Amino acid sequence: MTNEEKIAMLEDVLELDGGTLKPETELSSIEEYDSMAKLSLIVMMDDEFGKKLTGEQIFKFKTVKDILDFME
Amino acid sequence: MDFTGKTIVLAGAGGIGAATAELLASLGARMILLDVVEEKMKEVLSTLEGEGHTCYVCDFSVVESIEPLLAQIIKEQGPVDGYVHTTGIGAVRPLKMSKYDFMLRVMNINFFSFVEVVRCLTKKGSFNAGMNIVGISAVGAFIGNSTKTAYCASKSAMNSAVRCLAKELAPKGIRLNTVAPGATDTPMAKEATDYRDGTDEQKINAMRQYLGTCQPEDIADAVAFLLSDLSRMVTGTCMPVDGGKLTS
Repeated sequence: MTNEEKIAMLEDVLELDGGTLKPETELSSIEEYDSMAKLSLIVMMDDEFGKKLTGEQIFKFKTVKDILDFME
Repeated sequence: MDFTGKTIVLAGAGGIGAATAELLASLGARMILLDVVEEKMKEVLSTLEGEGHTCYVCDFSVVESIEPLLAQIIKEQGPVDGYVHTTGIGAVRPLKMSKYDFMLRVMNINFFSFVEVVRCLTKKGSFNAGMNIVGISAVGAFIGNSTKTAYCASKSAMNSAVRCLAKELAPKGIRLNTVAPGATDTPMAKEATDYRDGTDEQKINAMRQYLGTCQPEDIADAVAFLLSDLSRMVTGTCMPVDGGKLTS
């Protein structure tokens, strides 16, 4: 999966318009990145990537790139 | 309370299941545990007082597998005196991620498997006189929770089923009830909430349960009461054990 595809998936989960996110985007600057979005991220990682994302790991994410790297 | 000579089937060897098995065994019951994870059951079995306890692997997500397993259990262990359904998954998901296959999985494990076990254990020859059944519901069945639609719906379904089945099975002398725990200190609850640590939602929830967080033993006490003759006139109802949450 390319970075562009992962970003599109992330934008879909966060209900953002396409093209909103860049790898360097800081998560703290995204209004939609709230507890509900974090929960959606946990589910997406499990469903789409078979990866278990913990609450502790989520709090370590600072930028979109951190999330993309976890999707590897 | 004395369960000497009683055989009780208990589904789910997690936090509440383990505490309930320990309490019932300490009161004289012979326990038959069901869970999908054999190691977990063996761990619980090793802590139980008394003799004759045993366990069977059961995948509650495959409802069709329950009937043949229970037929085998009745054949090997004889008719039973009680059933406790503690098995379940917490299942926290926003609506947009709650597709049909996910909803069905939650309903299978939390609800359809409960009805299937009750159906099988209440057939002639499968139970002794005075059979009692208790399901673990949740206060979420009454107040709901954001992102827990599947879970709360499955617990509401259990409460409704128990109200119906209590009437249907009363002529056989069988009682059924549910216990609705509030926030309880279990591994399942921890997994479901750790991403929300420190949020306003979590703080408000904690405040509403003004007696504090329940321990699995608090839930086990209520289950034992409902299985015992002390509650002989209680059936078809749901007993909250919620530190005051429902009324706050």
